[in-house]
Amino acid sequence: MAPRGGGSSRGGSSRGGSSRGGKSGSSRGGSSGSSRGGSSGSSRGGSSGSSSSRVSKSKKPGKPSTATPFKTKRPTLVQKKKKRVYTEEELGIPKLNMITPAGVVQPKGQKKGKVFVDDQESMMTILAMVNAEKEGQIESKMMKARQMEAIREARHNEAEARQAERKNKLEDVKDSLRKKNKKKLNAEISTIAKEESAKPAKPKKRVSFG
Amino acid sequence: MRPLTETETQTLFSKLANYTGPSLTHLIAPPAAAGSTTPAERHVFRIQNSRVYYVRESLANLATSVARPNLLSLGTCIGKFTKTGKFRLHITALDVIAPHARYKVWVKANGEMPFLYGGNVVKAHVGRWSEDCPEHQGVVVLSMNDTPLGFGVTARSTAEARRLDPTAVTVFRQADVGEYLREEDTLFTT
Repeated sequence: MAPRGGGSSRGGSSRGGSSRGGKSGSSRGGSSGSSRGGSSGSSRGGSSGSSSSRVSKSKKPGKPSTATPFKTKRPTLVQKKKKRVYTEEELGIPKLNMITPAGVVQPKGQKKGKVFVDDQESMMTILAMVNAEKEGQIESKMMKARQMEAIREARHNEAEARQAERKNKLEDVKDSLRKKNKKKLNAEISTIAKEESAKPAKPKKRVSFG
Repeated sequence: MRPLTETETQTLFSKLANYTGPSLTHLIAPPAAAGSTTPAERHVFRIQNSRVYYVRESLANLATSVARPNLLSLGTCIGKFTKTGKFRLHITALDVIAPHARYKVWVKANGEMPFLYGGNVVKAHVGRWSEDCPEHQGVVVLSMNDTPLGFGVTARSTAEARRLDPTAVTVFRQADVGEYLREEDTLFTT
């Protein structure tokens, strides 16, 4: 709000100046011209003698004389007003819109340049911090590795157990099959034996040479 | 040549702490030599043309009489700051790191040459390694007779690496002493 007001006031002054300047030729210039003209006219009027001629005379030479000092005076006034410099806070520009971004601005009165670390104590503190950080990282890595190892081990054991179970099942099936086969075989053998026993024995053909 | 700022010191130390243990403090405050009561002379870090040098303090003080553009290098180069503010260790820092290393990997004789030619360390070449080493951790690579050969970053933790096949990479190379020959032209140029 403030800057706008300032701007408008500035603009207003400049405009006002121009408008006044424009008017000065007509109204003010006329009045002042008349007064000055009067003074000058009085001296000159002494020679001419008429008031009308005085006015007319005073106007003609007065115009340029009055216009020039006003023109020269006004710009100086305007310039003086223009010299006012607004601070950034007065302008109220959004902070992100400035030349130096909000975070970058360094506080005043601070030494420029780098700050060196050369004494043993500060180096030791930095080193201690770094060492502690690294130690923590390594520890966490080791922990993670151990956990992963435990998980892997558990998975491996589970897989082994599953495989053993599968093997047992297979063995069972095999055994059952073997038993079944044996029974079948036994039954077959017994039936064959029975059939053989039931059949009358065929007389063997004998061939004799002699 | 100037001392380091706080952020630079922090970056440098965090990089060094990747490879070294808590004994890194000996770099800043060296302990008294055996048999003498007075502490050993202090060493400091100095930066010159984005390179960091580890210098004896008396030498660093003498170096102030040399104009910056005229000074090429001084003391032991540790590494350099990149334009993005990160720090890159050079092979020249090995002598500073190796005595204070936290984790170590010993490489067999048959794995020395592949490593010195710039290769990673495969499992078959590992002679032994520090126990309980996590993955992506800085390690110093040594030969079997304890000569430091370089440094790198572990690819797997020690527990995981045991299960790897012999050709799998266990340590990613960061720097090796072979660079003294391979990078001879560029190692000391600014």
